[in-house]
Amino acid sequence: MNPITAIVQRNLLNYIRSKGRVFGALFMSMFMLVMFSFLMKSSMSGLDAPMPYLISGVIIMSVFQVSVNNSSDILTDISSGYMKEVLVASIARTQISMGHILSGAVIATLQGVITMICGIVLGLRVGVLQIVLLAAVMLVSAMTFSAVGLFLATVSRNSPAFQTISSMIMMPLTFVSGAYIPTTMIPGFLLPIVYLNPLTYTTSIFRYIALGAHTLTTQELTAQGMAFSIGGFVITPLMGLAITILIGAFFFVLCVRKFDRADFSTIKIATGMRGGGAAARR
Amino acid sequence: MNPIIQVEHFSKRYGDFTAVEDISFTVDEGSIFAFLGPNGAGKSTTINTLCTILDKTEGTLTINGHDVSRERGLVRKDIGIVFQDSTLDAQMTVEENLKYHCAFYKVPKNEVRERIAFALDLVELAQWRRAAVGSLSGGMKRRAEIARGLVHDPKVLFLDEPTTGLDPQTRANVWEYIQRLQKQKNMTIFLTTHYMDEAEVCSQVVIMDHGKIVAHDTPENLKHQYTGTEVDVTCAQTEPLESALQERDVPYRKDKNKLMFHTKKASAALEILSAHRGEIMDFEVKSGTLNEVFLAITGKEIRE
Repeated sequence: MNPITAIVQRNLLNYIRSKGRVFGALFMSMFMLVMFSFLMKSSMSGLDAPMPYLISGVIIMSVFQVSVNNSSDILTDISSGYMKEVLVASIARTQISMGHILSGAVIATLQGVITMICGIVLGLRVGVLQIVLLAAVMLVSAMTFSAVGLFLATVSRNSPAFQTISSMIMMPLTFVSGAYIPTTMIPGFLLPIVYLNPLTYTTSIFRYIALGAHTLTTQELTAQGMAFSIGGFVITPLMGLAITILIGAFFFVLCVRKFDRADFSTIKIATGMRGGGAAARR
Repeated sequence: MNPIIQVEHFSKRYGDFTAVEDISFTVDEGSIFAFLGPNGAGKSTTINTLCTILDKTEGTLTINGHDVSRERGLVRKDIGIVFQDSTLDAQMTVEENLKYHCAFYKVPKNEVRERIAFALDLVELAQWRRAAVGSLSGGMKRRAEIARGLVHDPKVLFLDEPTTGLDPQTRANVWEYIQRLQKQKNMTIFLTTHYMDEAEVCSQVVIMDHGKIVAHDTPENLKHQYTGTEVDVTCAQTEPLESALQERDVPYRKDKNKLMFHTKKASAALEILSAHRGEIMDFEVKSGTLNEVFLAITGKEIRE
């Protein structure tokens, strides 16, 4: 078995075995979908198809949240000591990072697909090809989000810190991504943040496919908040996908570097060195 | 014998705190090597550096000819580690823990099943292979961890206080597995411990204190060098033996008709004993322990 496959398989098994979590996560994504779709409906006035527009946004945001949150699994591995077993093994650090990113992404995508099915029930109209494409976009974006989450987890090093940091970053980014509130309705002074927010572009490519918007002209896309004109330069949904992938690659490199630093697992060693004094000095 | 581990002038500092200061030693292939010392002596720091988990501050450390800082990947392939604290995957079964370990170490697919069976047999956990690790007792977890550490056939197996926190019975068993392992696989075993009796069966012992090596030798030599042999003799009449001891300037203690004295070696006592064979009713010869060695070198007991 390839080391990446081993990590992915192990993480998926671990996930499935915590049944409460599976149930909770599924419940949350459905709850979010129903709540947001009905609550935010009024903010979507002026769009051709407000419900599908909103539903597609909620789906990709749930993928985002699940991916980032699942990255905290690695903190459990660190505190249980298991991470040390992985770090001293003769596995390339790229494989460790890839294994964790992939497993987080697979879980998030599966949940995303289930949310999408609920979305179809609630009025999202998509064909088979669209479903396949949407799942692919979910997987790619989930990998980016997992890489971001993994990096945040390795930086924060403990669960409470990770929760604080991730919600501090996730909440605002979610609200200025256009997923819940169309970017066209966001006040002008916030637009720079909208344009700097990677979620904006992930939302745009996802929505572009979900709404079958390829028939629209660039101008129409811009008017609907799926393409962005920044100082005359237009960022199309496909460019949005490229941006998402680039950000993912960037954070992947950061994660690999983080794992490559030999002293990474000192948290556990420090507590192990009971009389060492090093722990107290850190 | 070939040295498989070479450490030269290794130091590790955390800020202005020095955990290990300029230590050098070698470990022969196929030997059992013990690092002895109280908590905080720098044993774990050294083991973690050898295991590529910590970075050195200074010095050269090689395992099987590979530098532990520059050739981490190659070093990792050659070693197996049982850490002080559990690093098992609690949600997985014993077998799954070993299976993923094999994947991490790229054990050939057709050998995985056989190797897992062998390792689990060795530590007598075969019947528990489908049990979740989290549900096992402390001793079984330790054994599972040892099985996992050796399933990829490492050249060197590091055991960082493998028996700490175990009850005496389990401790004896774990120790038996370690010795069996070394014999069956001719593996080099590098362990840290603060149990003196464990270090006595090793081929080489390094005693560390405050980040420095204070002694390095075979357990026998250490005992000879730092402790003597205590001879307790019970006599019908103590006077003849007492005067013989006084003649030789051997200090002794007297308790009723029992005389107690120290000699460098047990054989040195033989001459006195045979000369006074007639008066001796009974005698006892006690050789020194590593505990006394440690006490003699550092001036304190190892168990704090």
